[in-house]
Amino acid sequence: MSLRSYILTRIILALPMIFILLVVIFFLLRIIPGDPVLAILGGKAPLEVIEQKRHEMGLDKPIMVQFFDYLKDVFTGNLGTSTLTNRPVIEELKDRFPATLELTIFAFIIALLIGLFWGAESAWRKDEPLDIGARVYSVLLYSVPVFWFGLILQLIFASYLRWLPVGGRIPAVTSFEVRTGLYVLDAIMSGDWKGLLDVLRYLALPSITLGMVTSSIFLRMVRNNTVLILSKDLVKAARARGLKKRVVLYGHAVKNAFVPIFTIIGMQFASLLAGAILTETTFSWPGIGSYLVMKIRYRDFPAIQGTIIFFGLFIVVISIIIDIVNALVDPRVRY
Amino acid sequence: MARDKKFVSERIGDFARDLFGSGTGRLTLIGSFILIFYVILAVFAPYIAPYDPIERVGLSLEPPSKDFWFGTDNLGRDILSRVIYGSRIALSISFLGVAVAFIIGVPLGLISGYVGGWLDRVLTLIMDAMYVFPGLILAIAVAAVLGPGIVNISISIAVVYTPTYFRVIRNQVAAVKDEMYVEAARALGAKRWEIILKYIFPNVLPSVVVVLSMNLADALMTEAGLSFLGLGIAPPTPDWGFDLNSGQRFVLSRAWWGIVFPGLAIVFAALGFSIFSEGINELLNPTIRERR
Repeated sequence: MSLRSYILTRIILALPMIFILLVVIFFLLRIIPGDPVLAILGGKAPLEVIEQKRHEMGLDKPIMVQFFDYLKDVFTGNLGTSTLTNRPVIEELKDRFPATLELTIFAFIIALLIGLFWGAESAWRKDEPLDIGARVYSVLLYSVPVFWFGLILQLIFASYLRWLPVGGRIPAVTSFEVRTGLYVLDAIMSGDWKGLLDVLRYLALPSITLGMVTSSIFLRMVRNNTVLILSKDLVKAARARGLKKRVVLYGHAVKNAFVPIFTIIGMQFASLLAGAILTETTFSWPGIGSYLVMKIRYRDFPAIQGTIIFFGLFIVVISIIIDIVNALVDPRVRY
Repeated sequence: MARDKKFVSERIGDFARDLFGSGTGRLTLIGSFILIFYVILAVFAPYIAPYDPIERVGLSLEPPSKDFWFGTDNLGRDILSRVIYGSRIALSISFLGVAVAFIIGVPLGLISGYVGGWLDRVLTLIMDAMYVFPGLILAIAVAAVLGPGIVNISISIAVVYTPTYFRVIRNQVAAVKDEMYVEAARALGAKRWEIILKYIFPNVLPSVVVVLSMNLADALMTEAGLSFLGLGIAPPTPDWGFDLNSGQRFVLSRAWWGIVFPGLAIVFAALGFSIFSEGINELLNPTIRERR
């Protein structure tokens, strides 16, 4: 299969997935007892007001009509209007998305660096202290809730040492021009180095928290797969040719161990997003995760549903991208 | 049936030998000790805890001392007692959540795998869609609509894990339903439900046991996450996640005891559960051991 037709097939295969996802979200949020109208207005509203609101939200129509309205809205990019702010949900998500993206990208980089290098070196020195340390590290961090780890880092670095801010993203007024919403990128593009340092100081604790917790899984995956490859003939041949350790380990072993690792990384991205919700709440990071939690507190149902759909679509898109990159790296995947 | 029993007792024999003989066995043993420790804490909380967990018994935010080993929270309640009582909520929600997921997921998987056809395809699609969704986000969505409470949170957690049971069982059933012994049962005139319950279910059960023990640790973490976000149990009921949420407000006052102790309770429980499941997994699937 050519690369282009592989990509096309992959995207077409994702369509029923998206459809099912939308169906599940729609019915899940309606089967469950609890009346959004009562939740918004409170139990003591007069009957006419309740009926009025119900009509406004389209809740008096038959369920199938509601369902098709919902599908039409989602495909035209309309995720409803927040009952709290009266703004379109999609606009609010757009405002907050860059913060979440920035946090997850940096956490991802940290997780990847720790996982790749520590994992590869542990595989090379199997059963030596470095390797045992890696195993203890991944078991421990795997059992640590990401929000608690964040709280501990806050205690140490923000409260006791006072090196880093306890939470938030940046003062309301940035010293640089906001173009992409990814502050690190914006600061670099404006050449504002003092601003960049400020941005990084706020970003440090949340991204290290999320990155280290995620790295425990990467580390284990990289180590175990590299150990497997290291016992193969291709590594023996590379060593027999007198290649340096660095070339044998990273150029031959890790490279060949990368396909299963990459698949796991793709799957981990989804849980990285879930971790981002908790991390954002811990550090008052103004992304989509803390947005969702805030909207739940005010029982803003259109916003909750919109955010969940957004998360779902984002995950599907990411999984398509991961598969395509996988096919680029390893042509065997395409068949 | 006699053959089956022998098979199970053989397993138990192996199990016991492994348990006390090898490194994995020791791991399983440690894991089960931790599990039992938490169960005892939960059951006998009123006898073990030094104070009432929801009464003011000291000053606000007192650091750990002889009277209050884990210190007090902002409302002057004893944190040690709250941590001990907290195991009740944590354990009952994770056990209940996993049990509900098991009770819904396993029968659906059995039927879907055995019957096949369009029913199988539709159910698989739905379960797959739920499976790719990050567990915590799904649980948050359901909990947001259901509201707080032990049963509601358990349902939110069950929604997350139902697809796991469904998938494992469905694939196993699809694999064994054409085996000789199933065909033999069918030839002898066994009814559909008899084949599913008596012949297929016992053979696919071991694979679910592993999933079950692994899910316990995950469910515990999900519950902690939900209650940290304020979606768990209504206060003042002691709950580790929620106590961390209130402890967070005093990070800058350096009231470390309100954060460290409830968190350690979660970590220790999750660690115990995962060590236990890791051990069980290796005992039931010995092929994994060779890979290490």
